[in-house]
Amino acid sequence: MIEFLQQFFTSPVMQDALPPALFIAVVASSMSVMILAHRLSFLTVGISHASLAGLGLAIAFSLPLLPTATAFCVAIALLLAALPKQRGISEDTGTGLLFAGSMALGIILVSQVSRNQVDLFGLLFGNILTVSTQEWYWLLLIGCIILFAFITMARAWWSIAFDPITAAASGLAVSPLRLLLYGTVGLSVVMCVKLAGIVLTTGLMVLPATCAWLWGRSLMSLWLLSMGFAIIGTFIGLLFSYSYDWPSGATIVLTLCIMFIMSWGIAWLTQRNK
Amino acid sequence: MWRVVATPYATQFRHIAAMTSPVISLSHINFGPSHAPILEDISLELKAGHFMGIVGPNGAGKSTILSMLTGRLQPDSGHIDLFGECLKRFNRYRLLKNIGYLHQLHDYTPNLPLKVRDIVAMGLHDYAKPLWQGFSSTSHQYTDIIQALQYVEMEHLVDRDFRHLSGGQQQRVRLARALVRKPKLLLLDEPAAALDSKQQQKLYTLLRQLCDTQDIAIIMVEHDIAAITGHVDSVACLNRSIHHHAMKGEQIPEDVWHQMYGQHMHVIAHDTSCIGCHHD
Repeated sequence: MIEFLQQFFTSPVMQDALPPALFIAVVASSMSVMILAHRLSFLTVGISHASLAGLGLAIAFSLPLLPTATAFCVAIALLLAALPKQRGISEDTGTGLLFAGSMALGIILVSQVSRNQVDLFGLLFGNILTVSTQEWYWLLLIGCIILFAFITMARAWWSIAFDPITAAASGLAVSPLRLLLYGTVGLSVVMCVKLAGIVLTTGLMVLPATCAWLWGRSLMSLWLLSMGFAIIGTFIGLLFSYSYDWPSGATIVLTLCIMFIMSWGIAWLTQRNK
Repeated sequence: MWRVVATPYATQFRHIAAMTSPVISLSHINFGPSHAPILEDISLELKAGHFMGIVGPNGAGKSTILSMLTGRLQPDSGHIDLFGECLKRFNRYRLLKNIGYLHQLHDYTPNLPLKVRDIVAMGLHDYAKPLWQGFSSTSHQYTDIIQALQYVEMEHLVDRDFRHLSGGQQQRVRLARALVRKPKLLLLDEPAAALDSKQQQKLYTLLRQLCDTQDIAIIMVEHDIAAITGHVDSVACLNRSIHHHAMKGEQIPEDVWHQMYGQHMHVIAHDTSCIGCHHD
């Protein structure tokens, strides 16, 4: 076991993949708390699938991949935040609409380039094992922006999640704060797409806080627990991925799912024995 | 030079104006489409320490008035002054710091793991500060939280999970959240809806005390005029427009009730102290 761990830590691939993977886990798990509090799970599905259009645009017009996807995802997130109020469309409908439209655009754009130019499997299911130095810097930049936004606005977002009417009446700028929340969720989705891919991003954005929800009793405890679950899940996931040569993103998401089931079971047993 | 001299005077004037002027002044407020207005020509003044009840049928515009006072809705015409200043988009957030608001839309309570003290803390002026600045149990904010909970006799449940409280207890915690910010104006939309009759009377007594001892002005929307009549200073009868504004000791004529609720209703007198009843 010790020999295996030594191999794991000294492997050049893992030395490159572990820091960005754990950093993404910390950022995604922080926003995960707000995604659950504001019930934005479907929004993350929508934005992550819409990111295919951003990636398709970048590939089709030879633009930098991650910055283009970032700009596209944030734009889609802000559009979703503004759309329901402006046009009387429900958030669910708006998300479904943009999700399908962007995905269709992305598929058409990606289908126009040769298979050698695009790693479709990596886009759909993530590939943290091939992160370049440039991409790592980009992830660091947007990750730090997300964490700064979370730390400074978490309480305001929390208060809005509990009661937006009273929050607005007590002097909080609810609409701008909500826009910022959606924009930050958009940024987080781009980070997660690199780790877990378009299809599995929602797992990474939802599961850490879902595990923490069973144990946390305040915003702070939820945040710390969510980060703890995400870091452990990502680390164990990468261990299994390395050991059995499984796709990294899928293994991490599956580990988090198993952690949730175990966490739920323990919580249920604890409640029952009280 | 002019600017240096003018600024302190301007500030001083504003301060004096705020002290002497009414807490609320509504002037000729209209809201809603012209063919089906929600509010018509509403004019109202409320001084510090005044406790006013608003009664009226469903859809009369009671909650709409409160929404306008919190800046959530803008009137189509008319003028709203809060604390001697015209309520505008740019000063709204500053003026709202002096208001405690309890709305009636509590059908949906999100499943957030929150302790009672966390809910009350949300009412503090500096609640939305960054995460690295915590609310420790020794801070003065914590003392304020406990004091607000004492007002509603909920201090013993300070660490309880909000989701595990009854509807009435949750309502009292929400009221504590409105009180913790030490407001100059309290806007309460059916605050007694989830309370039993004993707690209702305790609530009205507390609100009366807050008016008398802390000079807080209160507007409370209620349906049960008989329950509030012994506590309020005045009652405004609203149905799109204010049909009558009765002060303490004054009685509301029967035709006002008919204008508000229709001809089919019968007024039954309670006792001579009831503002709502007409005694021959």
